[in-house]
Formats: sequence, C-alpha cells, structure tokens
Amino acid sequence: MPENSSSGTGRRILTALASLKLTLVILAALGAGIVAAYLSATPTIWALAVPLGAFAGNLIAAVATNPVFRRKTALLIFHLALIALILLIAAGRLTYLKGQLELAEGEVFEGQLTQEESGPWHPRRLHALRFSNEGFTIHYAKGVRRGATRNRVAWMAPDGQLRRAVIGDQNPLVLSGYRFYTSHNKGFAPTFTWHPGSGAAPVTGTVHLPAYPLHEHKQAIEWTPPDSRTPLWVMLQFDEVILDPAQPSEFRLPSAHRIVVRVGEERHELGPGERVRLAEGVLEYNGLRNWMGYTVFYDFTLPWLFAACLLAVISLAWHFWSRFSARPWDKPSTGTS
Amino acid sequence: MAMDWEPLTLWASLVIYVLAGSLAIFGVVLRKPHEKAVLALLVPGLALNTVSIALRWERLGHGPYITMFEILLSNIWSLLAIYLLAYWRIPAIRPTAAVVMPILFVMMGWLLVTSPHEGHLPATYHTVWLFVHIAFGKLFLGNVLVAVGISGVILLREARQAGSRFARLPDDSRLDELSFRFMAIGMIFETLMLIAGAIWAQDAWGRYWAWDPLETWSFLTWLSLAFALHARVAYKVSPRTGALMVLAVFALAFLTFFGVPFVSTAPHKGAV
Repeated sequence: MPENSSSGTGRRILTALASLKLTLVILAALGAGIVAAYLSATPTIWALAVPLGAFAGNLIAAVATNPVFRRKTALLIFHLALIALILLIAAGRLTYLKGQLELAEGEVFEGQLTQEESGPWHPRRLHALRFSNEGFTIHYAKGVRRGATRNRVAWMAPDGQLRRAVIGDQNPLVLSGYRFYTSHNKGFAPTFTWHPGSGAAPVTGTVHLPAYPLHEHKQAIEWTPPDSRTPLWVMLQFDEVILDPAQPSEFRLPSAHRIVVRVGEERHELGPGERVRLAEGVLEYNGLRNWMGYTVFYDFTLPWLFAACLLAVISLAWHFWSRFSARPWDKPSTGTS
Repeated sequence: MAMDWEPLTLWASLVIYVLAGSLAIFGVVLRKPHEKAVLALLVPGLALNTVSIALRWERLGHGPYITMFEILLSNIWSLLAIYLLAYWRIPAIRPTAAVVMPILFVMMGWLLVTSPHEGHLPATYHTVWLFVHIAFGKLFLGNVLVAVGISGVILLREARQAGSRFARLPDDSRLDELSFRFMAIGMIFETLMLIAGAIWAQDAWGRYWAWDPLETWSFLTWLSLAFALHARVAYKVSPRTGALMVLAVFALAFLTFFGVPFVSTAPHKGAV
C-alpha cells in the first residue's frame, strides 16, 4: 500500500541518516570545516554550520532508530546532551551580542556601544541598562606589567536601590544577562564645556584620548565640538613618568599638565578652568579624568550550555564505567559490546 | 654559600629518569627486564621533580604554567606521574616503558635547551578555573601517553627484530582493549579540560570560545579522539589500525600542547 511504502522509505532514510559510518564522515567533515575556517581570512560560518547541522540530524536519527539506546541509558543521555549542545550553540549564535564601550570616570552608560556584533534575533535590551564608572585602580609591576584592575561601578537595581561593586579582569558586572568586563584599554579624558557662538546652551563632555600606556606617545586626538564644523586637535602634555618601568607603579592622572589645542594655524595651551575663544564659540577646559574601556557579552544559553556539557561528560563517564567494569581488559570478549 | 636546590633537584630527577628509561629500554632489548629497579628509580625521580617544581613555585609565587620551560617541566612531571601509576598498577604492560621513556627523553632534552626565565602572570590567571583546566589537560595527555606506549608495542611486534622482545605481553586484542580504555578515560578528561577552559575564557576574555589557535587545535584533538573511539565501535578496527589512530591523536595533542605556543599571537596561547 502507498502509505506503508512511504513509511518504509522514510524508515530507510532515517536508518541511513542514523548510520555510525555517517557519523565518522560528519566528524571528518567538521574537522575539515574547522581547519578551513581557521585558515580562511574571511568568515566561513557555513564550514562549521553545515557539518554541525548534519551531526544533529545524525544524532537525532540514531536516537530514534538504534535499539542500543533502549538498553543503555547512559549512552542515550550522552547523545541527547550532544543534541542539546548543538541546538543551544545555534540558539546562542542567533541571539548573542558582543560589544565595546568606554566610560569616563563619573560617566553613566546609556546603551551606546563603540563597536558591536550580534545575532539576528538578539533581544535588544541593552538600551534600558544603566551603570556608572566611579573610578579604577591598576597597579603595575616593574617593567610596566599590568596587575589586577579594580573598577568601582554603581547601578540602580530593579528594587530601586543604588548598588555598588568592584569589578575587573574576570569579575564582570552582570545586568539583565549582559556581562560587562573591564578591558585592558583605559586612558585620559580631558573634560570640556563648549559655549556655542550661536547662543545655544553650553554642552559639557569628555574627549577620550588614545589608550594609555598602549599609545603613550600619541596622547592627541582630533575632535569636533557639537554644532561646530571646525575640527580641533587636542593634545595632553605632561613631563612626568606615570608608569615607571624601573619600579612598581600605579595608573594615575599626571600631577601637572596642559592641554594643547590647535585650530588650523592657531595654537592654544589651557590649564584646568581656562578658556579660549574660537571662531564658532568658546572652549572651556574643566580638568582631566580617566576613562575605562569595557567589553560587553550577552548569551542567554551560557548556564544551559554548562549544564548540557556536564550532563554529556557525566553520562559518557557512566557509560564507559559500566562497560569497563563489566569485563576486565585482559579477559576475552564474549562477543557483545 | 647557600646551595641552590632548585636546579640541583631538577638535574637529579632528570638523571634518574634517564637511568630508569635506559634500564627499561635495555631490559627489553637484552630480554633481561629490571622492572622493579625501574620502578624503584622512577619514584625518587618523581619526588625530586616534585621538589624542584615546588621550589620554583615558592620562588616565583605562581605555578609552572607560564613559560615554555614551566609547561615542559610540569608536563614531564604529570606524564611521568600518570605513567608511573599505570606502570605500578598494571605490571603486564611494564615493557611499554621502552616506548614511553624515549618520548619523555625528547621533552627532557627540549627542557634543557629552553630558557628558565621568569614569565609574567597576567591578572586573568588568578582563578581556580586555570588550575582545573590545566589539571584536566595533564590527566588527558597522561592517559593518552599510556595508550601510546601500548600502541607502540602493538606496532613494534610487527617488526622482525623487535617483535619477539614483546612476546610476553598479552596478545594484541587485549592490548588494543586496554589502549582503548585509556583513550576513553583521556576523552573524559579532554572534554572536562575544554569545559573548564571555556569557563575560564568567558571570564578572562569575555567569551567562552573564539577559535583562537589553541582553542582550535584543542578542539581538533578532541574531534580526532572522538573519531578514533567511534571508528573502533563502527568498524571494529584491527589492533594495528587502532594503534595508528592512537599515535595520530597523540601527535595532534602534542602539537596542540607544545607546538601552538610557538605560532600563536593570541592572548591564550599556552605559554605567555
């Protein structure tokens, strides 16, 4: 009958898909895909996605058709955990977010990232999050070798209470599933107030100079004030050694400094509280702060991935244990596996 | 003048290892096994190696996992410790020392030409997951090394000159079964190493997996191990084929542990 014939064909396809030999082909294809992706200069996600998809299909078909899984619970759990892992990795890639941001001391994060990549189904809850950078300390060993980063942050908890914590290195701030980590990037941030010549309201903000000490000798940046068309070149000038390679030191602001402002051929030097009149307004220098770079990561599958990994490894160990304890290695096999 | 015990204990341990290994090799070649003497030498050798590592740890304030010198030093210790345990508990495989010890001699020679300079411990290394990750990695490689010793015997038995020298070991199918068991245990520890490494990477670099060179090659090693174990189930491979697959997995694992640090520029590269 046609129904029996089609179910028989479906059964044959499922059995073929469940083949142990096909698993070997898929594992080899996955290895080849990884090597191809590793050697390729361009993103080659399909080199991994296709074998992983085939692997999931192979595992599901095997669990559905192979009678060995009715007899061996540990092996069944191991294969189910592998299927869960592949599905979770796929879900994670569709919904993840990775990004970077910078905050000057005292500045509040308002959802803006300087760099970002995310999956197409990322839930976009980042813009509702707020936390402030309340300053940091970083000690350096002799030879300018960076020690632990201790960054004080504050945020408003869902219960309306102001919370404070010290984060840094492997201790992130976790808000609504987003994990904020301090990065090795940090530097100096001159604070300016721009008084537009048009009479509009003054605007105060910070300019983040290139990371220090990574760009120790390039502490300058070009920046255009709000509602202005003229770019300004701003440089931090100081003579003292902040991080001495000859002895242990700490990241800190210079005790004495000047800000050099260039507009075309004009050159001005400003100290804290000083101002300069330019063609489109007045630039007031308020003082120097520091800024901290952060990376942000979101992947809701993390705890589930961990659970699936643990389940897979425990069930695999259980399977091997029950198999090996059933017969000493130096006794001949009775023919069953 | 105070004696510097750290290099002294290291050199003493290496000399004892070489004596024990040479005794094991000559025992097989001359058909005069001195297995108890080998065991009696390896134990104090390992004890001195332990003292040497402990003195360096105490002096630098961190474990032996930063420079290539430290990675070689600690792996010689862990591989010897795991092999010694197998050597003690499974007397039937003691002649495999003639295969295993030359591999360790290569690592010892490499250690001696590597600079013992001090490395910098990055702030992200102050986590318990680093210890867990490294411990599982060493357990994985140690178990695969025992399988390599057994597989080496299976392959050497085919050689006309060497074959008869391993005649008193169990037959190939029994050795193949034992090798498979060590590989299976290695698979568990390799998986745990990857899990612990991913947890550490998540907090150290803000991502659990990024396909950096070490992650890529360690996953390829895991895949090759899964392939070898699965092939044994799917095809009922011969002991010879099984032995060749064990050697292939070990070669890949060795490249990952000791080769990638040379080519990697990523933050996570094994040796800093």
